[in-house]
Amino acid sequence: MLIRTPKDWETSAAVTTESHYHARPRREFLRTLGVGLAGAALLRPGSLFAATAGFPPKPNPLYPASALKPTAEEYVTGYNNFYEFGTDKEDPKVQANKGWKTDPWTIELKGLVNHPAKFDVNELIKKIGGIEERIYRFRCVEAWSMVIPWDGFALAKLVALADPKPEAKYLKFTSFQDPKSAIGQREGNLDYPYVEGLRIDEAMNELAFLATGIFGKPLPNQNGSPIRLVTPWKYGFKNIKSIVTVEFTATQPKNTWNIMAANEYGFYANVNPKVDHPRWSQASERIIGGGFLSGRQDTLMFNGYEKQVAALYQGLDLKKNY
Amino acid sequence: MLEKLLRSKIFIWTLLVLPGLWLAWPLFVTHRPALGADPLKFIYLHFGFVACVLLAIVLTFTPLRVLFPKSKLALALNRHRRLVGVASFAYALLHLTAYLLHEGGFRTLLHDAFEKPKLFILAGLATFTILLVLAVTSLHALVRWMGGKRWKNLHRLVYLAAALAAYHQIYARKLFPVQVLWIFGPLALLEVARILRQRSKARPA
Repeated sequence: MLIRTPKDWETSAAVTTESHYHARPRREFLRTLGVGLAGAALLRPGSLFAATAGFPPKPNPLYPASALKPTAEEYVTGYNNFYEFGTDKEDPKVQANKGWKTDPWTIELKGLVNHPAKFDVNELIKKIGGIEERIYRFRCVEAWSMVIPWDGFALAKLVALADPKPEAKYLKFTSFQDPKSAIGQREGNLDYPYVEGLRIDEAMNELAFLATGIFGKPLPNQNGSPIRLVTPWKYGFKNIKSIVTVEFTATQPKNTWNIMAANEYGFYANVNPKVDHPRWSQASERIIGGGFLSGRQDTLMFNGYEKQVAALYQGLDLKKNY
Repeated sequence: MLEKLLRSKIFIWTLLVLPGLWLAWPLFVTHRPALGADPLKFIYLHFGFVACVLLAIVLTFTPLRVLFPKSKLALALNRHRRLVGVASFAYALLHLTAYLLHEGGFRTLLHDAFEKPKLFILAGLATFTILLVLAVTSLHALVRWMGGKRWKNLHRLVYLAAALAAYHQIYARKLFPVQVLWIFGPLALLEVARILRQRSKARPA
């Protein structure tokens, strides 16, 4: 019998209290129907709602309260950086909902793995065994922050599924390419498709997460539907949205913002109040939705997740490897 | 008609105050997530934008007069050089004030200007300092005290301010903001045309 000790992130996260949110119609609906995971599979949820709907996150009854108060949903879904759909914060909500289809969605595992595969994203969630909720801090490189209740699963589960070969040292994530639907890709404001990468030990860290929902609902398009990366100890741009391939590689993959401006955005992108961006300080951050005058707080090392991730970077010069 | 309007101080005053009021419009009327998400940032970006636009506009007045010496419109506009210039300073001051409120005081500014100096911040500060000096020396008494030539030489700093403001605006964004081209582009073209015109005039016939 394993005695399970609560993970650190769980004490401040993991659990749903209805009072966090204004409303959770989808979860309520499923609950009313008495539809669990099995039922959801029968219903072919993707055809009913968006991709990845119908997988209610399983709350963890051990930890009923969260220390982190989620940012208002209207800001989480209305104040986004998703340059594929425009460079202004208010663009993605409009531009990503003009016919861009994220259902059905296929995600591919490839590269140095024993089990290369292509999955429909719903099939993948079923294979993984459903989703859970985690409330994480989110810190943008532009010095603002939110608290977001994500639904999804540990990235480590995906790594296990792919079964990497010993020579695999990195994960390379690639987002979608669809200039017809994505105005930013038509304009060519960045090099597309958007790519990101993690060291494999970072990917295996308990915090690394693949999100398929927020606020108990499937990810809205502007938040990276249907599946996106969440690494809460890193700046937001690491959290690649709308992933289509995960490739396991032996060498460090490129990441989009590093290609655009290597002196400003590194590969690691760990939140670090002591290492400034060349144009602004990272010592503190503006709290989104924090109102007029009271919305600033000091930025924490690794965004407050030092205990979980500091060991990954022992001996690494964080000033050079920003 | 248009000339009469452009000559009117009240009309120009109204035009100059409107961008400040426009800011209040979405506060009360429509719902903008960006405004509620980070209101002070929304506000300081707006004020900075208006300051840049006014600075670029006021600098077009002189070249317009040189290029179109007979145009009454150009003449009318040149009545308001000081007013528009001081308005640009006023918006720059609002921009800086809102920025300081956003950062919760002087800590960030001091850090970014002196502890770990950043060109982007220094360019903004230098622009503001120049505009401040020019606004103060726009008082009648000071103009007289300085004398025309010294005053004119000092006020040539405004071209440096415009260049620094353009730099500051470009580096405020992660990607090159196209708006900088339409704000400062026409000014650059007019200045080139004006210099060419003055050279051809200066040449002995």
